[in-house]
Amino acid sequence: MTDQESIVGRGAQEGSRLFREWYGGLTAAAERGAPTAYVFVMGSIAEILRVFDFCMVFPEINSLQTAVRGVAQDYLNQAEEYGYSTDICGYLKADVALQLRQGAHPMGRIPKPTLAVVTNACNTYIKWAEIWERLHHIPIFTMDVPGARSAGEEPRCGSEELERDRVYVEAQLRELVALCEQLTHKKLDLDRLREVLSHTNDMSRSWRRILELNQTSPAVFNALTDGTIFLGVANALRGTAEGGAYFRDLVEEMELKASRGIGALPEEKHRLTFVGVPCYPMFRRFYELFAEWGGVFVNSTYLSFAAGGLNLGYQYDLERPLASLAEGILMSLRQSMDAMFFQDRSLVEMAQSFRVDGIVYHPIKSCRTVSTGLADNRRAVMERYDVPCLFIESDMMDKRVVAEAQLKNRIDAFFEGLASRKLRAQARP
Amino acid sequence: MAYAAGIDVGSTQTKAVLIDEDQRIVSRALVDTGANVVTAAEKAFRAALDGASASEEEVAFIVGTGYGRYRVTFGDAQVTEISCHARGAVLMFPATQTVLDMGGQDTKAIHVDPRGEVLDFCMNDKCAAGTGRFLQAAAFALDIPLGDLGPTALRSKKPVQITTTCIVFGKSEILSWLARGKKVEDILMGVHRSIAVRSMGLLRRVGVEPQVTFTGGVSRNRGMVEVVQEMLGVTLNVSEESQFMGALGAALFALDHIRKSRTATKPPVGKSLGAKEGTAPA
Amino acid sequence: MNLLTEFDVEPLEEVLTLCRDCIEDAKFDTVRRWREAGGKVVGHFQVYFPEEIAHAAGLLPVKVRGAQVETQQADSRFGSYLCSILRTSLELALSDRLKLDLFVTPPICDAARNLAGIWARNFSYPAQILYLPQNPNSAHAAAYLTSEYGRLKEVIEGVAGKRVGDDDLRRSIAIFNENRSLIRELYAIKREAPWLLSIEDAYALVGVGGLITREEHNRLLAAQMPRIRARSARRQDKIRVVFEGGFCEQPPLEMLRVIGESCYIVDDDLLIGLRWIEEEVPLGGDPLANLAEAYLERSSYSPVQHDLRKPKERMLLERIRRAGADAVILTAAKMCEPGLDEQVTYTKTLDAAGIPYFVSEFEEKMTSFDHLQMQLETFAENLLFD
Repeated sequence: MTDQESIVGRGAQEGSRLFREWYGGLTAAAERGAPTAYVFVMGSIAEILRVFDFCMVFPEINSLQTAVRGVAQDYLNQAEEYGYSTDICGYLKADVALQLRQGAHPMGRIPKPTLAVVTNACNTYIKWAEIWERLHHIPIFTMDVPGARSAGEEPRCGSEELERDRVYVEAQLRELVALCEQLTHKKLDLDRLREVLSHTNDMSRSWRRILELNQTSPAVFNALTDGTIFLGVANALRGTAEGGAYFRDLVEEMELKASRGIGALPEEKHRLTFVGVPCYPMFRRFYELFAEWGGVFVNSTYLSFAAGGLNLGYQYDLERPLASLAEGILMSLRQSMDAMFFQDRSLVEMAQSFRVDGIVYHPIKSCRTVSTGLADNRRAVMERYDVPCLFIESDMMDKRVVAEAQLKNRIDAFFEGLASRKLRAQARP
Repeated sequence: MAYAAGIDVGSTQTKAVLIDEDQRIVSRALVDTGANVVTAAEKAFRAALDGASASEEEVAFIVGTGYGRYRVTFGDAQVTEISCHARGAVLMFPATQTVLDMGGQDTKAIHVDPRGEVLDFCMNDKCAAGTGRFLQAAAFALDIPLGDLGPTALRSKKPVQITTTCIVFGKSEILSWLARGKKVEDILMGVHRSIAVRSMGLLRRVGVEPQVTFTGGVSRNRGMVEVVQEMLGVTLNVSEESQFMGALGAALFALDHIRKSRTATKPPVGKSLGAKEGTAPA
Repeated sequence: MNLLTEFDVEPLEEVLTLCRDCIEDAKFDTVRRWREAGGKVVGHFQVYFPEEIAHAAGLLPVKVRGAQVETQQADSRFGSYLCSILRTSLELALSDRLKLDLFVTPPICDAARNLAGIWARNFSYPAQILYLPQNPNSAHAAAYLTSEYGRLKEVIEGVAGKRVGDDDLRRSIAIFNENRSLIRELYAIKREAPWLLSIEDAYALVGVGGLITREEHNRLLAAQMPRIRARSARRQDKIRVVFEGGFCEQPPLEMLRVIGESCYIVDDDLLIGLRWIEEEVPLGGDPLANLAEAYLERSSYSPVQHDLRKPKERMLLERIRRAGADAVILTAAKMCEPGLDEQVTYTKTLDAAGIPYFVSEFEEKMTSFDHLQMQLETFAENLLFD
């Protein structure tokens, strides 16, 4: 079946290729000193920045790449020698070292920033940008995007409470536009903006569909490994035609796999949800510790928050681009933040609709945003729903706190429990 | 009648237990793990065989557990010590619903069902301050034999508050209290309490439901038993066999295998020691 | 009603002891008395909270800032690598030492932002995030914050069961203006004649404000200030320092006392939230808009408030200069990410400015300070003999 052969696996391959190309682009930008914006996955405001032709750099992605390629320790040590504590975010530290090395990175060279755009979706972003302000003397733009004030809020678009926040986001968006105009000596091209918005619309529609497809059994992609590749493209190519095309192809691939029962694992035994950020220092091995037991991650909160809420599928209204962009940013980032702070109910819903056998909580030392509430969240989920939940701690950058033997011990015990639970369920009349 | 064997390879000690098909403990053995995990496992197994006057061929199935479980090269299967401690505790104390295992290197809290299956577990395997290691450090700092730690602590009337979170600084905190004239028993009780408080966190995470069984090397410390009982508000089950709980559980898993293969047509085959590749999980 | 018992008749020393005991009291007797009299309580987490709004509704705003307690219940709700103040604060609520009717936290840092979610899962009363702006430089920030305060007011009205009018707010603002003015006076004493008041006493005098009614606090401070000035105490040979790092988790009182043995802490950011607004909040016009404007334009600084006009290192240099300090004690609570991040910027700036500093970490539950004492004495001696 040649169509199957050419389509299945395409997303992973294409994704890797696009990624390499993107880094090639960054290296070229570094060499010619192109205007560059440093942004973050939760609220990159890529749509505006692309219109002004900024080269987009995602320091979080740069940092995690150093861990995946096994060189993070070097970067972390350098930042710690510079003065940063062992107890703070590893992404930030690796980037500080990267800056001190003039952008020398295993994937190429990272250009210096002309501008940094951050949102309050993560407080470390703000401290991080303050560092760039001092290192590079660049303008930093902090956008306030107020999130849900309490658990269980579900505000409707256009409601009074949401409108108060939306108006603030739109005002800040216009201030960002003014700053970009000042820096680039160009005016905002609304037609160009509409084009970029429509690409993001495509991507978010596709992304939502892809995440949904994993409800089938066997799951068509592994949320931990494949998901990370998809996420990389979703962020790096947000608002581009290539990004739109990639995700359309990905939908085709996943729908094909779903219709033909081609799963992510040769034999899917246990369907799992992953809560947290992946263990990048041990990326492949971590996945294997679960795959060896036939465990596949069918979904992950990571895919919700780390693409700035793209999974919400918010469709920008091209008739009112700025107003709609403001609303989209607000709704999507709220979704991201909810996926980190108020997610116990949605986890139970996800567990039901995806027929999940177990939930794996992976708090990490570096990220307090994601990790602080997980122990209590797990307690609440287990009270509400009968699903085994594993709790394993490590880090996404610092292999000094990643202990494979101890992780394996807990993971094995978890699967021993899942296996005997299944046997008992089967034995019941 | 065939025997089932469980071998628990811990960081400091290796334990072996032999049970018969009626789940009765026929023999047990304990050796220091030392540097060579494989020889420690073999030594413990042989010692258990000797204790039962049994031959290798009479042992139908061997399960390895503990951190060194994959190095029990002559074993037939590996099961985590979490699952093994749960099984062992429920055999010893059938009404067990919660297990607290405090070893030299890690501490675990396990919520079990009446069959001994693990419903939930929580471990501290990163930080020595919540484990027996802190007691060893205190014994060394105060120059007191390990066996005297409990009785000494129990004499305390005004325990001090030990607040350092790391045993490296814990030792100097102990010495600083001594310098301030605090009594040894009060300092020791402070150490016990500090370790116990950490267990409370683990226990509450899995949910404390009586009966609570206390296992692992530290459960032999009467002082710790009293402190944990007081903090939990529940009487603990403690057994002389507490050190062998993991190996016992492993032996029970081995017995499961024997029984399962009996219902199939294959007769049980004796296993022999000797160079063999590690086996995959059953 | 006095929550702190009758202090008007007590001599100064007794009052100071009373205050020190109050802030170290993990039973929160003052709050308990308020509740027993039928009052309701708004617990607000660090750093800043517009307490006037709660006060105007007749509620007692209580600053939730951890305590020295064993976290028997709270520990199971948190993983590793977190600051202590989160755990102990939750413990206070879980153990019923602190009973609240509403809990509000600003998203000051990534760890604290999780509190509203954790609280909501564990208690039935409302738990909210108050989104104070991290973009105070936006022209729209004032309008936004005013509407956010309006939203908060509605929540508080719901809890109090009564409406809060503009006049109620103005009355409360006046009381808090008075309070801030008295605290500024206290800090003037610390700066001009630090030998008159030990750091732990000064700290306690300010800190009780977060545990009693502001009216009572005003009476307390107003009564003690002249007595403090009238004290005869000798100036001692100690270096003048700024203590930086106490904006959220608090160092134990004993640690402050130990520092006080070799240093005069002439300015600090301890419990800065209680004196965040540095000038009078106007009483005319829209009170919520005035409060919002004061937060944005007339406020202090901390590592958890981002404002392009107030780079922290420049603000610190300002503080050092205004206080006439010789050196800085640069601390951070263990695991405090913003504090630890800021330490790097601070140290580099102080190095460049040639200002001596002493770096330390603390934890609210520390009990032994021998190391700190020794190192600090050496540091101070070096400066004195320079």
